[in-house]
Amino acid sequence: MEFNRDLVDSAAIFPGRAASATSASGAALSYSDRRRLFLVLMTIPAVAYVIAVGVWPLTKGIWYSLYDYSLLRPARAHFVGLGNYADVLTDPVTRQAFFNTAIFTVCAVAVELLLGFAIALALWRDDRFNRMCLALILIPVTITPLVVGLIFRALLMPEYGLIGYYLAEFGLSNPHGLFAEGPSALATLIFIDIWEWTPLVALILLAGLKALPGDILEAARVDGASATQRLRMIVIPLMAPTIVLALTLRMIDAFRIFDTVYVTTGGGPGNATNTLMLHAVKQGLEFFNIGLASAIANVTLICIAVIATGFVVLFRQADRRAHGR
Amino acid sequence: MTARNLSRLGERAFVLVMVAFFLLPFLWLATAAYKPSRDIFSIPPTLLFRPTLEQFSTVFRLFDVRSLLTSSLMIAAGSVGLSLSLGVPAGYALARSTSRYAIGAAYFFMAIRMVPAVAALIPFYLMMRDVGLLGSWVSVVLINSMLNAAFVTFMMFLYFRSLPKELEEAALTDGCTLFGAFWRAALPAVRSGVIASALFCLIFSWNDFLYPMFLTRLDSKPLSVALLSAFGTKDITWGALGALAHFSTIPIVLIVLALNRYFVQGLTKGIH
Repeated sequence: MEFNRDLVDSAAIFPGRAASATSASGAALSYSDRRRLFLVLMTIPAVAYVIAVGVWPLTKGIWYSLYDYSLLRPARAHFVGLGNYADVLTDPVTRQAFFNTAIFTVCAVAVELLLGFAIALALWRDDRFNRMCLALILIPVTITPLVVGLIFRALLMPEYGLIGYYLAEFGLSNPHGLFAEGPSALATLIFIDIWEWTPLVALILLAGLKALPGDILEAARVDGASATQRLRMIVIPLMAPTIVLALTLRMIDAFRIFDTVYVTTGGGPGNATNTLMLHAVKQGLEFFNIGLASAIANVTLICIAVIATGFVVLFRQADRRAHGR
Repeated sequence: MTARNLSRLGERAFVLVMVAFFLLPFLWLATAAYKPSRDIFSIPPTLLFRPTLEQFSTVFRLFDVRSLLTSSLMIAAGSVGLSLSLGVPAGYALARSTSRYAIGAAYFFMAIRMVPAVAALIPFYLMMRDVGLLGSWVSVVLINSMLNAAFVTFMMFLYFRSLPKELEEAALTDGCTLFGAFWRAALPAVRSGVIASALFCLIFSWNDFLYPMFLTRLDSKPLSVALLSAFGTKDITWGALGALAHFSTIPIVLIVLALNRYFVQGLTKGIH
């Protein structure tokens, strides 16, 4: 209150500012009104931009998904209601893309979480060696996913790739390489994702570890709890919210996988590594089947929304349990 | 005591193995660009080789590297500039507002980031076609900035929220305008947040290839798209590809290593 009066006084002293605060009707706005107006004006550009360039196209996407609309014969576009969605649910190619995406997401994120947790524990002590190693470990996160795909394609080539050659030579992979068979191609894609994103998971979990209350851990140590006991009974329960957050972020990203698949397998062999995003891009921007592609994209969006909501609920529970809130 | 030393040694060894695992594939690519073509795939890999720039001269002969770099830089700079100028003020306002809509708006911005890229791309592609922007990097900047501005808003919201209000209140009593208090008192205090946001926008727009692949033309395509099209061509060797990939990875890796503190802080800030 003191503070507000100061400002009103200062407005009286500086007539210029007082004039700028006068509305068109001539009535002076109070400080809190002016402040509210200022905050709204600061937010409007971003909100308007995101609505115009993000929400509006997404809404149009819902509209398109209700039409049989192909860019190759736009004049013949007609309303089909939920027909495209019915196609998405019954079409075996889309169904396989859905299962591929789900398997990919679950396997990749599970390994990333376990390996990331191990790395975070190993890097927990804050010294120069660990800080340097963390910086180096984070490099995969910054590399173009496109280039990541290229690197692994080159390394895994059966003819002369540094890894692929030996795999083919010793009969550990198909003689035509890991990408020649459906299951091994999907497994390889999972491996690439693990290489690319485990560092990020490790970093998130490391930040969580460093935020743990040191006194509780110290007390447990003094009471004679072994490292495993401390991990199981203190660290993991307290880390639960961070673990859930890392899981959420990675699952949402993994579910949208596109880049590395596009450059390594292109969805093949057959449709063995086709994912939902890749399927939508192919349908929409290569076959110009806008209606169906929009429906696939919207189904992906719904899946992601379900994942996100589920995890927000989980996070709230974990947070309440860990912090007693 | 020795058991403890032993477990510490194990920790160090594990960390080193992990560093090797995450670094070696990248190093293979980084060195491939300097190897003569016959050495790139020699088994076992040659560690000692006479570095050559032959791959780079191939790249310069086959690609208009300058135009590719210009497009990439334009897209990155435009996207970073637009996203920061939209997102930073919005993040500040949402953090300082007491309105109950503010938190909702902040989470709306976070949710936008989770949208799969194609869902917005297909309608956006048709929109750009209708307004005649298809084929220019402006359209890529526009859609990249939408995702980036949403991200910056949410991240700066978190940064400003953990900043005590007293700083701006002091500035206001000293006679600053409301905007002056934001610009001169609050903003310098979250400089590290702004740097981290800029870094993420840069990485995202520099690395992205789905949007430019469909939204740019031959003369406006950035490095990432050229890399992809080069990949399918028969007369381009892995060495040349490595040299081209050099341009698209090394600048970012160097910037991130130099600004590692901000990068790490930003990545973890988005979480806590």
